[in-house]
Order: sequence, then structure tokens, then C-alpha cells
Amino acid sequence: MKKYILLCMILVLSALLSACSDTTSEADSADGDQVTLRMTWWGSQSRHDQTQEIIKKFEEEYPDIKIEPEFTGFDGYFEKMAAQAAGNDLPDIMQQNFGEYLNQYADKGLLADLSGFVEDGTIDVEGVSDTVMESGMKDGKLLGIPTGTNALAAFYNKTLLDEAGVEVPNENWTWEDYVDAAKKVHDETGKFGTRLMEPKNLFEYYLREKGYKLFNDDGTDLGYTDDKLLEGYFTLNKELIDDGVAPGYDTIQQIKGVEDELIVHGEAPFDFRWSNQATALTSAAGEQELGMTLLPGSNNTQGMYLKPAMLWSISENSEHKEEAAKFINFFTNNIDVYEIGGSDRGVPIKEEIRSEMSSDLNETDQKVFDYIELVTENSSPIDSNYPPQSTEVLAALSEVDELVMYGELTPEEGAKQFREKAMSILGR
Amino acid sequence: MIPKKSEHSPAPLEEVSTNPDLKKKVNSVKPRRKVKSDNHNVTGYLFISPFLIGFFSLTIFPILYSFYLSFTDYDLLGTPNWIGFDNYVRMFTADPTFWKSMKVTFFYAGVAVPIRLVFALLVALALNKVVEMVGLYRTLLYLPSIVGGSIAISIMWRQLFGNDGAVNSILASIGLPTHSWLGDPDTAIWTLIILYGWQFGSSMLIFLAGLRNIPNTYYEASSVDGAGPIKQFFIITLPLLTPVILFNTIMQVIQGFMAFTPSFVVTNGGPVNSTLLYVLYMYRRAFEYFDMGYASAMAWVMLVIIAIFTAIIFKSSPHWVHYESENK
Repeated sequence: MKKYILLCMILVLSALLSACSDTTSEADSADGDQVTLRMTWWGSQSRHDQTQEIIKKFEEEYPDIKIEPEFTGFDGYFEKMAAQAAGNDLPDIMQQNFGEYLNQYADKGLLADLSGFVEDGTIDVEGVSDTVMESGMKDGKLLGIPTGTNALAAFYNKTLLDEAGVEVPNENWTWEDYVDAAKKVHDETGKFGTRLMEPKNLFEYYLREKGYKLFNDDGTDLGYTDDKLLEGYFTLNKELIDDGVAPGYDTIQQIKGVEDELIVHGEAPFDFRWSNQATALTSAAGEQELGMTLLPGSNNTQGMYLKPAMLWSISENSEHKEEAAKFINFFTNNIDVYEIGGSDRGVPIKEEIRSEMSSDLNETDQKVFDYIELVTENSSPIDSNYPPQSTEVLAALSEVDELVMYGELTPEEGAKQFREKAMSILGR
Repeated sequence: MIPKKSEHSPAPLEEVSTNPDLKKKVNSVKPRRKVKSDNHNVTGYLFISPFLIGFFSLTIFPILYSFYLSFTDYDLLGTPNWIGFDNYVRMFTADPTFWKSMKVTFFYAGVAVPIRLVFALLVALALNKVVEMVGLYRTLLYLPSIVGGSIAISIMWRQLFGNDGAVNSILASIGLPTHSWLGDPDTAIWTLIILYGWQFGSSMLIFLAGLRNIPNTYYEASSVDGAGPIKQFFIITLPLLTPVILFNTIMQVIQGFMAFTPSFVVTNGGPVNSTLLYVLYMYRRAFEYFDMGYASAMAWVMLVIIAIFTAIIFKSSPHWVHYESENK
């Protein structure tokens, strides 16, 4: 009797265990020639909808490849990817971010080198400019294909500027013009004269415009030695806050996404952010007219740069790199993709697609295309010397920036404190 | 069960026959018993093996592994390298944010836990007096705790205390000055403390059960002796409730130190790190800065802190906890 019970238990247990393992192996091998790829991206709801539609198109064209999408907002995306990387379980196709993220993944050898696929023509990037392709290179390996081109842009609310009688800025405006315009709008309308600049991308631009970099070439130190630079950046913003021209962080923190920005509600005329957010901003702004131009500064040609909006990467642990490369090729070369997605992932990198699209672009996309054209002519190459710890350095910069803007540190103390923090992070 | 019976049934028969036989039987049974009980254990372990496997592979192993990781520079992506006590040394000597988060967490736990306990006790006392529809009230008051740990409540909280939120609207409508509750480093932590206090449901239920256990005769007897309700509370209710208070305090202190969701969702640690709870900082270390070794070390430091607090509360309990089963 006992033996029977024992036997039953063992049977049940082994059935349980094998049931667990069965499901995984089934998903992996699949029957027939059908290949299943996992794909992840971050974005807004509209991007989720569009991308799923793009996947559907792709599956129609390649019936033997199935794509399982996983998507979230940007918050939490890289945390989730980090956990998957630790479990050796990165998706086959991964939306990757330029800069500190790409460098981090490159450093750990988590991404597959795509140059083979480009050479044998699986991924067709014929005619894409070298500078664009280079942004996906790290240590001589091609680790990502840019989804499109992006640039920082000074968005302005023309309706509000007109109301205040302030001239619309053009690409030759300086920091003084910016401050004057902001003050005038504030005086005339009682609204904010600008949105507070957040340091994550904008301090780097500020440095570049003055001829410096955020990090030195080998990523072991900050790229500038004179703390007056950061002090000047802090002072510029702090004075605007103190005069009531720019909102403090207490207001900024309440903004719930791009669609809720001050510029959208006509509460502030200026906002500096990425050009691919034009669609989201414009559609949320409704009646009000938004425009975009280069960021201010007399040397803004030196400060401005083109950046890959995102990159498509294939993970090194993928068992179906070939199929994943087919998807990237599809995304890069198929006009349907851009008819569905517009410039949401940046302006297409292929000349043919751009010209094919330009015939029936909507007004906003046209503006973005023109703007990227303008930046292409008035920019310098992007810096890619981000050390692996740069996420933490940038977090320290935001922290110090908050302290200064809340008035708990003077700009001078803040600049000094940031250097100390950055050095201790980089020195580890 | 069944085999036991069948083996035992012949025994009484032999028992009746002769004495030496019985002795022999007893002697021979002894070793057999041993074998039998071993087998029983195996069956038992097999029955709970789903739990055991889960417990060892999903709880014990990660705990021990994190202890190992706390001595390494593991960055989630590469292989861990042994660096000895470096993480701990760095934590205590070279990381001001660590101390900041420690301060925030102690303040949070130190203020929010008593608030929740007092609140839970008061509501339980009130509910204990309610005669009709107790179930309804109990459910309604317990609701915040069911949904409490969830993202939804935290998002609601953010809306309530936002610049254009309900709290400011109410203040404005009665002519009081409004305030940027979440934007001001001095008030942001209080919104989280209020949120914690508001989720008093589970402690309340336990208090309520404790209150129901106090025999009514004590109150009747004391009222005959002329004790008013306040006196009754202090000489009868509170002493008899101390075991429940002890339990609730320990559970809440542990929960308070481990709070994560509110600061992650409502304020995301800001402004200027004024709501950076310890666990949120640990999460950032691990998953934003890829500093898993350091985060593991932080987790172990927190474990020690919670263990110390729990030990202090336990050690002090003989002085204030009153068990009915003891002499008085």
C-alpha cells in the first residue's frame, strides 16, 4: 500500500516537473519551420499600436516567422531588459537606445554584430550616410541599425509668441535672445516665459555649444575642467525661476507625459526636446501653432548633432539571428512601415524612403523632415564616448540640478558638488 | 493510515497468548517501527515537495546567493568578481545618497507606523461598538488595504495631492492657501506617510479580533465598581490587547522599512531625494545603475536593521505585554 502511495507521489511529481519543462521546450522548437521571435520596444500607446500593425504586415510577407511583441513605456524598459540580460534571456529583436545604454550592452558583449548581415545583403542599408551608420558602431562592431534620425529641437508656440508680440526665433538666435524672449512673454502675458530646461540632454548641448564635451575621450573624467561652465548653466536657469519666468521642479514634476507639457497648453512658449516628439506635441496642442528651430547659442552649429532616435539590435543569445535581421531589413526598407508609423521613430535613414514619403507627408511630419534637413547642414558629429557609469553620472547631475533649482545649493556649490560626485562614480 | 491498522490488528491477538511471546514482539517491533516512521517521513516530504522545491529554489537559494553577491561587483550582465567587503565599505563611507535614503526611511517608518497603529486601534474600537451592519463597515474600511499596495492607489494619490488635485481644490474652495504638496521637499514625505496611515485595514481587523476576545464580564464588573469608559480602556482594554499590539507592531515595522511602491510611483524619490526610501534606492542601484552587488549588500544591511528592531521589540515585550494565561 505504502509503496503505491509513494509511487503515485513520484509519478505526480515527475509529471508536474516535466509539465513545466515541456511548455518551454515546445515554445522554443515549435513544429514545422515556423520560427518565433521575441521583440521588445518602449514607447507611447500610439507607437504600440503602430508597431503591432507593422509586425502584422511583416508576418504577412514572411509567413514562416512569427513575432511575439513585448512593450512598455520608457520607464522600466531598461530595468526589465537588465533582468532579462541577467537571465540570459534577451529578446531576439530589441529596441536599443544610443549612448550610455548601447555602450553598456556593447561592453558586456550582449549584442550580435550585424556587419555580416549588412555585407551579405540581408539588411540593405545601401546609401545610408556613414555618420548615421557609425552611430550604431561600437569597437568596430555594428551593434544596431538606427530606426531613424533625431535631433534636439527648440519647439516654440507661435500662437503664444504672437500674443506677446515676440518675434518667432530663427536658427541664429543666441542664449541672450532666448532669455529676453522668455522674459518678454512672461511680462506681457503673465504666463511662463519658458519651460525649465532639464539637464539630461541640455547640459550636454550647452557644453558642446561652448566647445566642450560631457565626458573625456576615454570616459574616465568629465570633458570640461572649468566648473564655471556648469555654474553658468545653473545660473541661467535659476535666474529664470527666481524671476518667475520659468517654472520650478514642483510644477515640472506634475506634468504627465509629453501630451501634458506646458507648451501644449499654451502655458509656456518654449520647450527643448527631441524632434520625433513633434507629432505627439502637435496633436495635443490642437489649434495652437507650434514650430521648431535649432537650440539657441551663437555656436549652435557646433552644439547641434544628429542622433539615431533608436536602434534595432539583435541579442547575442538569439537562436534566430537571420530571421531577426530580416525584420530589421523589412523595417528599414519597406515603405508600409513609414506609412503606418510616420516619423515616430525618427526620420527614415534611407534616402529612397524619405523621397517616396515626402509626396504625401502631413504637415507635422513635413516640418520634422525639414528640420532634420536643417540640422544635417548645421550640426557636428555626435559624442559617443559615454562610459558605462554615465547613467549614474547623469542621475547625479539631475539630483544636483534639483538641489540648485530648489535653492538648497548655490550654482557655484552645485557645480562643485557635481564634479565630486561624478569623479567618485567614474573613479570606481 | 490503512496499512497501520492492518499491522496493528494482529498484535492484540498475540498479546493475549503468552508473555515471552509478547516481549519478543515488542523487541522485534522496535527496529521495524523505525523503518516505518522513516518511510512515513518520505511520504510526508513528497507531499509537501512542491512547496519545498519552491521554497528552496525560489527563496532560500536567492537569499544565500544575494549574500554571496553582496561581496562581488556583479553588474547583472557580466560575471561576479569577488571584492570582499568593498561594497559595505563604500556604502558606509563614500555614499551620501545611502545615508540620505536611510534617514528618509527611518523618518518614514518612525512616523508612519505609529500613525497607522493608532488609527487602526481607534477604528477597531469604534467598529467594536457598532451593532448593525458590522460586515459592511468592516469591508469598507478594509478596502484601502486590499488595493493598498497597488499601483492604482499610488497614482490616485499623485492626482489627489497634485497641484490641481482634489486636496488643493478643497483648500481653495474654503479659502485656504493651496500648496504644492508633492513638489515641496518638506511636504512630499508626508503625503506618503498619510497614504501608509490610511491603509490601516489589516491591523484594524487583527485589533478587532483582539477586542472581541476580551470577555464582557470584565467591563461589567468594572462598571459596577464605578469605572468610566476611559478608565476601562486603560485598565482593561489596553492591557488585554498588548499581545495583539506586539504582533501588529512587529509586522508594521517590517512593512514600513520595506515600503517601495508609494515612493516609486507617487514621487519617484523626489523632490531632491526627500522621499527616496531605502528599497527604492536599492532598486535603482540594482536595475538602473547595474550595481547588483552593491544592491545585494544594501539588502543585507536592511535585513540586519529589521532584525535588530524586531529583537528590541521582542526583548522589551516582557515589560509591557500582558498574557492572560500568565498568573494575572
